[in-house]
Amino acid sequence: MSAAAATVASRTEVPPALAVAWLALARDLRLAFRKREQLIQPLAFFVIVTALFPLSITPELGELRPIAPGVLWVAALLSSLLALDFLFRDDAQDGTLEQYALSGRSLTWLLFAKTAAHWVLTGVPLALIAPLTGVALGAPGYSLLGIVVTIATGTLALSLLGSIGAALTVGVKRSGVLLSLLTLPLAVPILIFGARATQLAIRNESFAAPLELLAAIVVLCLTLAPLAAAAAVRISLE
Amino acid sequence: MTAFLRMGGYAQYLWPAYGIAFTVVILNVIWARRMLARARAEARRRVAVHGEFALRGEQA
Amino acid sequence: MTWTWFHRLGSPPHVYRLAERLTPWFAWPAGLLIVGALYGGLVLAPPDYQQGDGFRIMYAHVPCAWMSLMVYVTMATASAVGLIWRMKVAYAVAASCAPIGASFTAATLMTGMLWGRPMWGTYWEWDPLLTSELLLLFLYLGYLGLRSSFDDMQRADRASAVLAVVGVVNVPIIHFSVYWWNSLHQAPSVMKLGAPTIALPMLIPLLMMFLGFTLYFIAILLVRLRGEVLRRERSASWIREVVTP
Repeated sequence: MSAAAATVASRTEVPPALAVAWLALARDLRLAFRKREQLIQPLAFFVIVTALFPLSITPELGELRPIAPGVLWVAALLSSLLALDFLFRDDAQDGTLEQYALSGRSLTWLLFAKTAAHWVLTGVPLALIAPLTGVALGAPGYSLLGIVVTIATGTLALSLLGSIGAALTVGVKRSGVLLSLLTLPLAVPILIFGARATQLAIRNESFAAPLELLAAIVVLCLTLAPLAAAAAVRISLE
Repeated sequence: MTAFLRMGGYAQYLWPAYGIAFTVVILNVIWARRMLARARAEARRRVAVHGEFALRGEQA
Repeated sequence: MTWTWFHRLGSPPHVYRLAERLTPWFAWPAGLLIVGALYGGLVLAPPDYQQGDGFRIMYAHVPCAWMSLMVYVTMATASAVGLIWRMKVAYAVAASCAPIGASFTAATLMTGMLWGRPMWGTYWEWDPLLTSELLLLFLYLGYLGLRSSFDDMQRADRASAVLAVVGVVNVPIIHFSVYWWNSLHQAPSVMKLGAPTIALPMLIPLLMMFLGFTLYFIAILLVRLRGEVLRRERSASWIREVVTP
């Protein structure tokens, strides 16, 4: 590198990957809040699906309580999968995703930021609403905090894992079902540990063990999923 | 011989199981050969239609 | 010097010709081993103490299960090789594996159900092995579905390769979680024979099956590989000599 070029490079401020990622996160949150009606949709879906189970099985809370963890988790899983569609679609259509890939900044961090925004916009609200539906399914009061914690952790893992499938199918038309088919088998460990944790919480037993396993999956997803998603985005954009 | 076929009473489960495994083994052989034949026919057609130079470089 | 064989494998015409030559060397030994194993398992091996003649279903079920797993690992490894070294041939290998693996996974489930009915009394049990196999089938179907959703072969190759690698990392995790889930609710159901060590006359046909099916898989793979290599080829020069009979 010539002396002139070196001085130019040292003078221009190159924002670190983290700062750029933060900007991307803030952007996604701001854009989402402009279309607030869209944010409600996954939540409404979650509540409706949860309501379908008593309607199709029994109104007896005593009989619903044992299956409440399963119902909450399956509904959360399906809602998150539906919402994953929004993760990359708009940005892929208007070319922002391409800009991210070409920008020379770390695509991994940018995608992590988008996934984090997705979790804040869907997973966290789901986790906060889950206690209400949980009560409707017979969950006792002392378990509500446990429900929030377990579902929040699980949806974080789901957003991360789902970002890979979403990145792989970003160019595919009507990819909703395919995305679900790809992600659901991979999401089984999240479902197993998460539902077990919620179940123990409802039974007023310690749910540390499955929660720790779930947290381990979250850590694994945090480290690997954005990398895989970045590779997938690059493939989809070619 | 009949004792062999009866398989100690498990015949109604055992022989269908072998049948399924055998069918899948044979099916895979047939599929693979058919797939190769089709790929060869496609390649032959491509060579006939496009010739040597059109195929090299950008795909039509 | 030692890696030239690897780099030559990147050359489609070389691979095509090599596959053509090698296929009978795998196909015939495979056939002999499988037939021999069948004889050993169905005729020679004595009836089991607990399961009578029922254990012989093992010689149909276990090779299918072995295939379903081995093929997935091969598919994922080939996908990784393709992604890392950008080898078209590696993607061709992965694409060849998928239909083979999916069909044998389905066969594993069906034969497993037929084994379960006399053993447990029901056609289906949510035991860890069958449940894992079911999830594996979904992984295969997802791979095939993703492939078919792309028109561009290259993009289909690369996208499904990422999925295969993500899947193979997930398989041990899925397996562990399913076993964990199963152990919460009942004693782990034992699909293997009761004794910790299988008697030799029962074991030998089983090992012959493993080897025979591995060779069989390679033979089928080599046939499909030739087709997949042809599909990915652009230069017509070597194709012409190879496909005009």
